[in-house]
Amino acid sequence: MTQLSSVRKSVLAGIILGLFLIYGLKLFSMQIVFNRKFEDKSTDNSIKAIEQMPLRGVFYDRNLKLLVQNVPSYTVRITPSEYDTLTNPMLEALLQLPKDTISHIMQKHKKYGKYQPVKIKKGASFEEIGWLEENSERFPGVDYIIEIKRGYTNTFSAAHVLGYLKETNENDLKKDSFYTLGDNLGMNGIEKSYEKELRGEKGFNYILVNATRRKIGRYKDGTVDLASIKGKDLVLSLDSGAQATAEQVMHGRSGAIIAIEPSSGEILAFTSAPDYDLSKFSDITPKEYMRDLISNPLKPQFNRATQSTHSPGSTFKVLVALCGLEVGAINENSTIYCPGSYTYGNRTFKCHGSHGATTVYRALEGSCNVFFYKLIFEIGVDRLNEFAKKFKIGTKTGIDLLEESKGLIPSSAYYEKVYGNNWPRGILVSVGIGQGEVSMSPLQLAFMTALVANNGKSFTPHLVKGYLDEKRKFVPYKFDEVITGVSDRNIRIIKKGMWLVVNGGGGTAKNIRSSEVVIAGKTGTVQNVHGRNHSLFVGFAPYDNPKIAIAVLFENAGYGSEVAAPVAEEVILAYLRSTGDIKPKPKEDKPKKDKKTNDTLDLITAIEENR
Amino acid sequence: MKLGGKLSSKFDFILFGAVLILLVFGLLAIYSSTQNVTQVRNNFEKQIFALGLSLVLFFIIYGLPTTLIRTMVPWGYGVSITLLIAVLIFGKTIGGAKAWIDLGPLNLQPAEFSKIATLLALASYLELKGQDLDDIKVIGKYLLIGLFPVALIMLEPDLGSSLVYFGMLLTLLFWRGISSFGLFVVLAPPLVMISSLFGIWYILGAFVIVAAFLIVFKRNIFITSSLLAINFASAFFVKYFFNILSPHQKKRILSFIDPNSDPLGAGYNAIQAQIAIGSGGMWGKGFMSGSQTQLQFIPELWSDFIFCVIGEEFGFFGSIIVISLFLVVFLRILKIAGETKNEFLSLVTVGILSIFVIHFAINIGMVVGIVPVIGIPLPFVSYGGSSLLSNFIMLGVVFNIARSKQVIN
Repeated sequence: MTQLSSVRKSVLAGIILGLFLIYGLKLFSMQIVFNRKFEDKSTDNSIKAIEQMPLRGVFYDRNLKLLVQNVPSYTVRITPSEYDTLTNPMLEALLQLPKDTISHIMQKHKKYGKYQPVKIKKGASFEEIGWLEENSERFPGVDYIIEIKRGYTNTFSAAHVLGYLKETNENDLKKDSFYTLGDNLGMNGIEKSYEKELRGEKGFNYILVNATRRKIGRYKDGTVDLASIKGKDLVLSLDSGAQATAEQVMHGRSGAIIAIEPSSGEILAFTSAPDYDLSKFSDITPKEYMRDLISNPLKPQFNRATQSTHSPGSTFKVLVALCGLEVGAINENSTIYCPGSYTYGNRTFKCHGSHGATTVYRALEGSCNVFFYKLIFEIGVDRLNEFAKKFKIGTKTGIDLLEESKGLIPSSAYYEKVYGNNWPRGILVSVGIGQGEVSMSPLQLAFMTALVANNGKSFTPHLVKGYLDEKRKFVPYKFDEVITGVSDRNIRIIKKGMWLVVNGGGGTAKNIRSSEVVIAGKTGTVQNVHGRNHSLFVGFAPYDNPKIAIAVLFENAGYGSEVAAPVAEEVILAYLRSTGDIKPKPKEDKPKKDKKTNDTLDLITAIEENR
Repeated sequence: MKLGGKLSSKFDFILFGAVLILLVFGLLAIYSSTQNVTQVRNNFEKQIFALGLSLVLFFIIYGLPTTLIRTMVPWGYGVSITLLIAVLIFGKTIGGAKAWIDLGPLNLQPAEFSKIATLLALASYLELKGQDLDDIKVIGKYLLIGLFPVALIMLEPDLGSSLVYFGMLLTLLFWRGISSFGLFVVLAPPLVMISSLFGIWYILGAFVIVAAFLIVFKRNIFITSSLLAINFASAFFVKYFFNILSPHQKKRILSFIDPNSDPLGAGYNAIQAQIAIGSGGMWGKGFMSGSQTQLQFIPELWSDFIFCVIGEEFGFFGSIIVISLFLVVFLRILKIAGETKNEFLSLVTVGILSIFVIHFAINIGMVVGIVPVIGIPLPFVSYGGSSLLSNFIMLGVVFNIARSKQVIN
């Protein structure tokens, strides 16, 4: 055993010594014998890998109309290790930069080391670049690169949907090793939520550089270069016609409009007003513009459609009524008596009139408050809370934007936390009519309506349908199905009630009854302690085969029937005309509408012809 | 001063001193290669911190009773398999491999620690009485214990660590006294597998060699034919397995075989690494003055390509000192393994030696252009907390065994 083990020991020692000898000799040959060869390569002929930025994916609308594209732009850079600061004044004059800009920027970038190029001017003109090319000998260490910026070709803004880009900073680099300093990165909207799809893959060009790090040629004539891979071209679900109409009717107001295709969860129109000008963000954003945006009390950068939550008011009655039917608190024929007011404890809550014995149909049609004051006690707040979650209310809808509010449907646990164990049950009265603690985002309102319109099921609401592959073939993304499990029978009752709101004799939105298409919906008016009422409307059309569900919220605008409902009708008609679901009527037939609608109509015809 | 005298007689100061000098070279090289790169400027401090932690762990392990090593076997192996599965599910991907578990301030690399646990399990299996290494069943069980973690690591994928396991498996068998026939049984299938990646002529060549060996060994017809079948099967298994891989995975495997097929990754780095080392000359370009190093021609120099910094900035002089220090470390550990009478402890020591040697062989071979580019750190020199910790744990075990060997005698 011992003899054998000493043999093995010698074998292992031999292997180790052999390794040492081979590596030692190899090092000797590289560092001593062939040192000159490697030294020459190192000083004269080094290969350097240059990153090639991929083109960022662009955006199309649902009809493959280009919305956002890439526009080339010249950026002038300085590499501090090669640059001579004595040329500062000349370069500043040439590039029309204020005095001392260059030394200022270089000072700020000192921490990144002297080999890291510093951008000194973005969006340089063609003349400036030409001049720089001619005089490159006089400006060592100065070069330019072609960067892309975003160009917007659409007839609308959709600022909150699309989002803009920003330059990466040190923090972004730490989070994701893909980026190098100065790369663009989606800041918000789809640019941010689909960043990984949009950015593509970087490529590398190998160049030969000499002792002063000047390019002297391409390594192996570029045959080993690795091409960058373009980011995915996304196809949005937005319909340009519906979006443009929604933005026009929103102009000068604050609020949100969301339209969804009920069968697919695809968002057709998405506005949050006021909004901002994306093109101001594609170069260096002017300081004054940024200051105005931030100081505006209406906060244009805030996405009202998904982040703001309001009391839904009477539009919420759709959900309460459906919940009442589902839990068996009421049925199609049962009635609740409305004497014109309701007293709980020592407080009296008013109705719009005395509706008498009221069925669920009449309760929705005339928006009877007493019906819902009483119904909510039959349902109980916890059952409502559970039911609302199936409609993605009080929880995130999962839309493909990163910022989204959950909204709130109170529960007994919630009330206990806020008011203690003996919370006043009277609070529930206002829950029944969508006031008090209840709050929802406009997106949740629209999605609730879409779910009702499509008989209780749909897909997670989304703004991007898929992408175009290299052969420009459409590849759809998959989205989760949302199934509420509500019975068809009860849905039909609610839809009938919503039909009465627009088409019934006592409907609160009979002013928007249209001869072109049958619309169903529900109005809402929410009292606002800070000013005028918020005006709301949710609806869908055509009644028999819903193609569009919509939610409209106008802040401080007045009654739901007066402001929000006609606007919803306008967007619905614009969309259905563009899809061919209804035939455009001769213009004389609509004398009631103002000029705006006609403009929209022209626009949509123009888009149709474009296709 | 009786106690001090006793301690020094058992504590291998030459071995420890050699490791300390290697650490100094490593820290200098890390400092030089990271000071001009903003994102990793604190790597030097991180390494110092990891070193402090490692030294504490080293002395704790050094002081523990040696019998404790054996009791670690079952749960050490269990925990490390669990971690290797966990990393595939919850792991964080760095540089294309899902090999790290994110623990806030530091990233843990389970493959580093499972090496020791697997080694202990294998050594204790081989030590069991009556294990006949010519018995296919014994070898089969042994390979199952050893290759299960390898399969998990291949999924990350981390080829470098997998090679370390293979080398360790073979070294242990060799040390335990496997016959040349046994060695052939174990070694042939993986070699056939590798050759099958290169094309049909290589496969045929491999089969001819396998057949020649089988004729020389003159075993009975049943064993001979089943061994032939196993080798055939392993070649086809690789072909089949390779065909179901995605193009992306294929490319990754092919670039291991031929670095120039991937000029972005392996090929480019190999060329730049050789320029860095070769241009160092006799005395080097001086600390913080290597142009290849300072201009960041090679990405992540501070980890797997750290030897380039030493080669370029300290020249042939520095390079030879570093590889000589490794020679000292290896021979001292081999000496301890040979002197340890207890079979289990001797196997553990030689297993640790094999882990260090394979790391060294692949890493230096890669930077001087003898071995294809395979990501694996240089022990005690490369940047990396997990690697440093696990290296010091292994060193602690070696010192512990050295301390106890007289007692066991």
